[in-house]
Amino acid sequence: MLQVVLTGLSVGAVYGLVGMGFAVAFYVTRVLNFATGQLLMVAIMLTAALSAAHWPIALAMGVGLAASTLGGVLIYLLAVRPVLRFDRLSFAWLVSTLGVAIILESVAALIWGTSSLSFPQLLNGNDVNILGGALTWQQIATVLVALGAVVAFEAVRRITLFGKLGTAISADPEMSSAIGANVTLHAAIAFALGGLLAGIGGVLVGPISFANPYLGETYGIYGFIALMIGGTERPAASMGGGLILGILATLANTYINPQASDWFPFVVVLAVLLLTPKGIFASGDAIRDRLIGLARRQPLTTSKATPS
Amino acid sequence: MNLQVSGPKANALDVRQLSAGYGRFDVVHAVDLHVRQGESVGLLGPNGAGKTTVLRSIMGLVRHRRGEICISGTDVSRLPAHKVARGYAALVPEGRRLFPNQTVEDNLRLGGMRHRHDNSRTSELLAAVFDLFPTVERYRRRKASTLSGGEQQMVAIGRMMMNDPELMLLDEPSLGLAPLVIKDMARALLTLRERGRSLLLVEQRVDLALQVCDRVYVLSEGRIIDEMRTKEVIGDERALIDAYLG
Amino acid sequence: MTAARQSVHARSALWFTNPKARRATWACALAAYLGGASAIAHSSNYEQSLLLVAAVYSVLALSLDLVAGATGLYSLGHAGLFAIGAYTTTILNTHYGWNVFLALPVVVAAVGIVGVVIGALSLRVSGLYFAITTLIFTIIVNVLVSDLSITGGYQGLPGPTFPNFPHALSPLGSALVWAVAGAVLLTITVTWSIRSSALYPALLAIRDSEPFASSVGVRTAATKVAIFSLSAALAGLAGWTFSFLGFITPGQFDTTAAVNILVMVILGGMNTRTGPIFGAVFIGLFPTVVTINPLWQEILFGSIFLIVIVFFPGGFVGLLARAGREIRAKATHTGEAQASVAPGTRPSHSNGSAPDEPREVTAPFRPSVGIDLRATLGSSTAAAREREAVSEIALEVHGVSFSYVKGTKVLDGVDFVVRRGTVHGLIGPNGSGKSTLVNLISGELPCQEGAIRVNGRRIDHLPAWQRPAVGLMRTFQTAGMVSELTLRDNVGLGLFSHLPRIGPRSLAWPLLPSARRDDEKVANIATAALGRVGLEEPWPGSRALDVPHGVEQLAQLAAACVGAPRILVLDEPLAGLSRQEVDQVAAILRDLKAQGVSTIVVEHQARFIFEVCDEVTVLAAGELVKAGSAAEVRSDERVRQVYLGL
Repeated sequence: MLQVVLTGLSVGAVYGLVGMGFAVAFYVTRVLNFATGQLLMVAIMLTAALSAAHWPIALAMGVGLAASTLGGVLIYLLAVRPVLRFDRLSFAWLVSTLGVAIILESVAALIWGTSSLSFPQLLNGNDVNILGGALTWQQIATVLVALGAVVAFEAVRRITLFGKLGTAISADPEMSSAIGANVTLHAAIAFALGGLLAGIGGVLVGPISFANPYLGETYGIYGFIALMIGGTERPAASMGGGLILGILATLANTYINPQASDWFPFVVVLAVLLLTPKGIFASGDAIRDRLIGLARRQPLTTSKATPS
Repeated sequence: MNLQVSGPKANALDVRQLSAGYGRFDVVHAVDLHVRQGESVGLLGPNGAGKTTVLRSIMGLVRHRRGEICISGTDVSRLPAHKVARGYAALVPEGRRLFPNQTVEDNLRLGGMRHRHDNSRTSELLAAVFDLFPTVERYRRRKASTLSGGEQQMVAIGRMMMNDPELMLLDEPSLGLAPLVIKDMARALLTLRERGRSLLLVEQRVDLALQVCDRVYVLSEGRIIDEMRTKEVIGDERALIDAYLG
Repeated sequence: MTAARQSVHARSALWFTNPKARRATWACALAAYLGGASAIAHSSNYEQSLLLVAAVYSVLALSLDLVAGATGLYSLGHAGLFAIGAYTTTILNTHYGWNVFLALPVVVAAVGIVGVVIGALSLRVSGLYFAITTLIFTIIVNVLVSDLSITGGYQGLPGPTFPNFPHALSPLGSALVWAVAGAVLLTITVTWSIRSSALYPALLAIRDSEPFASSVGVRTAATKVAIFSLSAALAGLAGWTFSFLGFITPGQFDTTAAVNILVMVILGGMNTRTGPIFGAVFIGLFPTVVTINPLWQEILFGSIFLIVIVFFPGGFVGLLARAGREIRAKATHTGEAQASVAPGTRPSHSNGSAPDEPREVTAPFRPSVGIDLRATLGSSTAAAREREAVSEIALEVHGVSFSYVKGTKVLDGVDFVVRRGTVHGLIGPNGSGKSTLVNLISGELPCQEGAIRVNGRRIDHLPAWQRPAVGLMRTFQTAGMVSELTLRDNVGLGLFSHLPRIGPRSLAWPLLPSARRDDEKVANIATAALGRVGLEEPWPGSRALDVPHGVEQLAQLAAACVGAPRILVLDEPLAGLSRQEVDQVAAILRDLKAQGVSTIVVEHQARFIFEVCDEVTVLAAGELVKAGSAAEVRSDERVRQVYLGL
């Protein structure tokens, strides 16, 4: 059982990173970047290709991550911003970011072929014994880096002014511009961050899953589900969603049948969504706030004027 | 319209022939108004008259606007809001609109974001806000959404003060507040006035505007229909009542 | 040409003025369609399979556009519904030996029922979350069919074979082609009929402005469920036909497919008649028709997505419309043609352009709003009027309190009485609770405490959509109307509750003589109502988004009056009106009063209130400050204090 949980955590960590990639961009712009999974793929493919060309690993990874980050910015500028300018409420970004996803996938396949490239094994060698379960160093590193990313993200969001500005923009973009925030710039940065997070996920999962142009689709879906479990209210919650998803998937694989990871997590997610449409963590927040409100005997008012 | 009546300094605000609206129709038609340096000016009128639109246009939040807007001599008519907020003007919007999930202090610091690289300036401004509103200092770590309406209004004014703008814009600060709280707020606005700030105050409550302002404009159906010195109005409110009640 | 025919043509697909020409065109189109079907039925297997796939996708896309484009319910669940249709058909036929034609109604009904469940879900979650929930539905269906043995697992199942024509009919060619052609024709008929029907404006209103929809009597919740169910049934039909095209495998109904269907709709042109068809044909045929290197093909595919939607948010239809305008502009040398043609709808007025300068409303005002409907629609307002003659108090609000958030009362024990045939003003400073009171009266908000009576009968338990039935209509402070519809169509919505059996008739609207008659009556009445508020041509034919605010306000007033209400509630009707328009409204209210209508006006313009209203109620901070005649209230000390702070 412990083994299952441990493996699930390492699998889920990557889902969580992709989920956070979705979440950060969504948080600021209310747009789902359908090409987030493909940005993970870009990082992994470039890293694999460059290291196969005997570049030093660190440099190859750096290039991969830079590419996925830059990719995020370009997607915002070319596929999202023009669409939002026309009509803030349309779903046209669905089509445009999907178009980008298709292009990225096929370009990658064109350049590197459709079969998998091998990825430098890095830490994927020996097993480490943890309380009876075994994980490779790669898997441990994955979980640690993912958690580190979440911690770093939350630290920036809560402590730095820049991060607080991001939260402010998410809550009230108009007021944020009235205090001096360049919302477009922040949106572009959010998309860049999304690309970076997805890229980190790719580089971490590389040794385990090999580098294949069609990885983006799988991780895209799982990352998206991680976002849904965690809720769209807070990007960091997507990591929690991803970890849960990873554990559920591994549990299903182990105890039901190897195919069960295809459906078991989704059934759980559906149940979750029906009960708490905004995701587990967000609802938890709401419940907690209500309890605090009751304790203080004060109604919770928002800063918007109440309707008269 | 003349830009400078006398003295070397330009007016805090000159608005010339401002027309603005949302979409295809104008809400405000050819409005002229000015605020001298250190003056407090009120913008009165019934709801729907366009007062909020005037403020938002000055702040750069209204896309469809024509006419000229100058703050301390600089033409800001074409600037987007985040550039206007770089020292020209700052806004206390209708309904306060604090950032709900962040602390009072965060809201204030965000208001002062244009000084974010100058720690001493930020601390100075923060101290000034706390000095004016001791309650706000007491609540600095509380989440903004847990404050009462009046407390939030103090924070909103403080957030505007943190920007240290040439021109301060306030949109119906008395909205939804209890009379006692309005008294406190009037005192705060008077202090700002004493400190020589330039204020443009939109209000539905005439008494508050008359307390705080040197001059008032009356806006109706998108046009300025009257301009009076406060001294003229007090004692003879009938003119104002007529303008309002018709 | 009468206004009635103009309006009918606004919603019908052809704008020929001559009904004979219209029928001839339809007949030709049908003949061409049948000819095309016949050609395909005789062509090679390869061509057939290509076009059949595109055809099935068209059915799917059209069904999705009905809920996504028209009603605003973005569903990613249609792939799942499609799958249920295809698999159920296959299993019933190959496993249980059912005749495929017997299976058809069963499959369609079954998927329709699933649609009811999902539609009900849309009432709980909306927007993005609804899209996500429906996506999960598709995933679950996909997973089920991948894992159950009865569905063949990952390999899938061979689909049933469509029976061939009996020998006598074999010259017609492939029976399957004719069946699919029939399915496509049925879907086009149903979806285009709905777009031409009186239901269509109601769907748009649900999408854009649900309170407005309820206020005219649309049962928004039931309609959403019903339309989703219909859409699901069509998706089931698509599944049925699809099963005959070869193997059915889970891979055809996965998340990619779910997203693709929505992409077909958006890329083709959302909320248009032909958009989904273009999108379906493009996505269905592209992979097979474009035979370059498959990877380059994908790159091209994705690039088209990106480029089309960024430059033509209206999709392919938008692209064609723009091209059409440019060509027309060059042909008539009028420069850049006005962007006044909404994609997929035909212009509802002959010159094809909306006035682009705000115009002063100068029509002379004629008295008497609201034609006597007894003669025209046979409604029961006459009977209602008889019953009413009893009560002197039209509307009574007693002891009403309301809180949005527990602990803070926005209204506290308010009593409010409107006597029959009076104009009653409701004033008070911001935050006084006026809008809340109005929303309670119209049913937007549920009554928490106290009672609301109309003609002595309690109505506070009635949902908003049932209030027009007791003669209560209202206008809204902000954005009541549907921007892409003409003023005439918007005002016509005001008669929604007077038209019988809109839902069932909408499925075949243009074919029903009764529906065409209703269209004409509604258009006449709507145009007349607009005329009576001072809006003559070209205003009735202009889209709501093209008209100045003041004109839209007057149109809203017309929409509320058109159904001959007994109690009218106007929420800040004067916002944005010019002096002349305000005088017009005052005259209209006086005339309504003469007809015995009781009006409640919430306003800030004090001059108007005190001139026009018989009685005035003043609210402040959720409480009643003063109620009495206009003169009493105006000179009241407390009112002055509370209102002006003086």
